[in-house]
Amino acid sequence: MAAAAAAAKGNGGGGARAGAGAGAGAAAGEAGGARKKKGPGPLATAYLVIYNVVMTAGWLVIAVGLVRAYLAKGSYHSLYYSIEKPLKFFQTGALLEILHCAVGIVPSSVVLTSFQVMSRVFLIWAVTHSVKEVQSEDSVLLFVIAWTITEIIRYSFYTFSLLNHLPYLIKWARYTLFIVLYPMGVSGELLTIYAALPFVRQAGLYSISLPNKYNFSFDYYAFLILIMISYIPIFPQLYFHMIHQRRKVLSHTEEHKKFE
Amino acid sequence: MDLNMSMVAREASQGLGPGPSLGLNGLPRIAPAKATKKPKKAVLFFEVEILDAKTREKLCFLDKVEPHATIAEIKNLFTKTHPQWYPARQSLRLDPKGKSLKDEDILQKLPVGTTATLYFRDLGAQISWVTVFLTEYAGPLFIYLLFYFRVPFIYGHKYDFTSSRHSVVHLACICHSFHYVKRLLETLFVHRFSHGTMPLRNIFKNCTYYWGFAAWMAYYINHPLYTPPTYGAQQVKLALAIFVICQLGNFSIHMALRDLRPAGSKTRKIPYPTKNPFTWLFLLVSCPNYTYEVGSWIGFAIMTQCLPVALFSLVGFTQMTIWAKGKHRSYLKEFRDYPPLRMPIIPFLL
Repeated sequence: MAAAAAAAKGNGGGGARAGAGAGAGAAAGEAGGARKKKGPGPLATAYLVIYNVVMTAGWLVIAVGLVRAYLAKGSYHSLYYSIEKPLKFFQTGALLEILHCAVGIVPSSVVLTSFQVMSRVFLIWAVTHSVKEVQSEDSVLLFVIAWTITEIIRYSFYTFSLLNHLPYLIKWARYTLFIVLYPMGVSGELLTIYAALPFVRQAGLYSISLPNKYNFSFDYYAFLILIMISYIPIFPQLYFHMIHQRRKVLSHTEEHKKFE
Repeated sequence: MDLNMSMVAREASQGLGPGPSLGLNGLPRIAPAKATKKPKKAVLFFEVEILDAKTREKLCFLDKVEPHATIAEIKNLFTKTHPQWYPARQSLRLDPKGKSLKDEDILQKLPVGTTATLYFRDLGAQISWVTVFLTEYAGPLFIYLLFYFRVPFIYGHKYDFTSSRHSVVHLACICHSFHYVKRLLETLFVHRFSHGTMPLRNIFKNCTYYWGFAAWMAYYINHPLYTPPTYGAQQVKLALAIFVICQLGNFSIHMALRDLRPAGSKTRKIPYPTKNPFTWLFLLVSCPNYTYEVGSWIGFAIMTQCLPVALFSLVGFTQMTIWAKGKHRSYLKEFRDYPPLRMPIIPFLL
C-alpha cells in the first residue's frame, strides 16, 4: 500500500497533482491538458528540481547497492543490510514532500501526501528497523525492489516535468509499471508485517498495559493487525484509481501524437 | 408595496416600445392592467428556468412566477416536477460556480431579468440537524453506561455487573451522563438552527466520532484496573469545580445565543454579555460556548486522569478552534463594528 500510495500520489485522488509544480496540465499527467495552472515561482522550481534529482540519485544508489550486493553475495537473501542506510535516509527524506504541499509549491493534498509518506516511514522504522528478526526476510527485498523502481521513475518523472521535457518513456513507465509493482510492494509489506507479529507479541514491543497512572493501554500487536486489515479497502481503491489515470493519461497522449 | 408594483407595472406596460419580447413558451409576458373601477393590480410575472449547474441541461421551466416569490417557494415548485429533489437538497444559484441563494431571497430583488436563469446543484440526501444531534448525543450517553455497569463481554467474566470501588468512577459517570443529557435537552429546547439540514453522510461521520471516543474513554474509566487520580480527593474536587463552572458557562452562552434570535427567524446579531456573569466571556471571545466546552472536558480529564479523555479533549479543541475561527471571521465580515478585543476561542491567544 505504501508502494501503491506513493505511485498514486502524483495523480492521487481528488485532483492531486504530481510534484511537477510548473504548470501545464500535460506535465502533471492529467488528461485534459491545456489547463494553465500557476506553477511555483522560479526559486521554488529550482529547489524542486534539485530535490527531485537528489531523490532520483538516492534511489539509484539503493538500486545499484542491491545489484552489487547480490553479485557479491551470490544470493538474494538478506540484501537489506547492504542498503539499510541509504534506504532509511532517502525514504525518510520524503517527509519533505509533506512540507512542499503545505507550503504550496506542490499542488498536492497535504493529507494524501502525509498518509502516503507516513505509511512508508512506518514500514521502514516501526516495522523493519524495530523488529530486527524481520530484516533477513525475503519479503523485505520484495517491497524494497518495488519501491526502488517506483521511486526512480517517479522522481525522474517530476524532474522532467518541472523542466518541461517529459520523455514519453518515463510517462509510460510511471503509468504502466505500477500494474506489477503495486501488488509486489503490497505483498512485500504485508508479509513483512506478518513476519514481525510473533516478535512483537513476545517482546511486548511499543505496548503498554493496565494498570498505569494514565489509564491507557496500547497493544502494538493488535495495531499491526488492524493495519494489515486496512490494506483491504485501501489498496484496491488506489490501484484502480491508477488504472483509471493510466487510461486517461496514455490515451490522451496517443491522441496528441496522432495530430502532430 | 403592492401599490408601487401596480404603478410600475402600469408604467411598464405603457412605456415599453414595440411589444415586449415573447417568453419562451410564446405567451406575452405582461398581464395588462384592466381599466375597471376597482384597479386590479397588474403583476409583472417572472419566468424561471432552472438548469443543471454541471451539464447546463434544462431541468425545469416555471412561468408566471410572482415577482415577490422567495427562493424557498421556487424550490417547492421545482420539487413538483422533480420530487426526488426535495427543497432541502436543492442548491440554487445565479452562477453555476457561485454561492447558493438563500431561501429568503426574493426573486425580483435578484440581479435577473424577467426571465431568471437559476443553476441547480444536488446537495445529496439531507438529514435534519435535530436528528443528527439527538443521535450523536444519545449514543455516548447509552454507551458509557454499558461500560459503567460492566455489561458482559467487555471486561473479564468475573467482573460482569460489578461496580467500581473508586468514588471518582461514580462521579465521572454522573458528570459524563449529565453532560450528554444537557446536550440532548438543549437540542430539543434551546438551540435555534440557521440551517434545517445537513448532508446525510455527516451522521455516520459524527456518530463514529462521538460513539467511538465515548466507548474508548468509558472502557478505561470503568476498567477493573482503573487507577484513581494521583492527588486524590483534592484533584477530583478541583476538576469537578472546573467541570461544573464550564457546564454552567456553556449553558449560559447557549441561552444567550438563543435569546439573540427570535423563534423561527434566521437573523444574525453580535452577541454581547448579559447580566449573567458567565456571559461576560463574550467580552474576550467570539465563541465562549466552545471555550467552556473545552474547559469542561479538561476538567473531566483531570478528574479521571485518563489519557484517552485528554486526547478526546485535544481533538475536540482542534475542531472547535476551526469552527470558532470561521465564526469569528464571518462576524468580522458581517459587522463593521465588531468588538476588536475579541479572539475566536481563547482570550488574547487564539
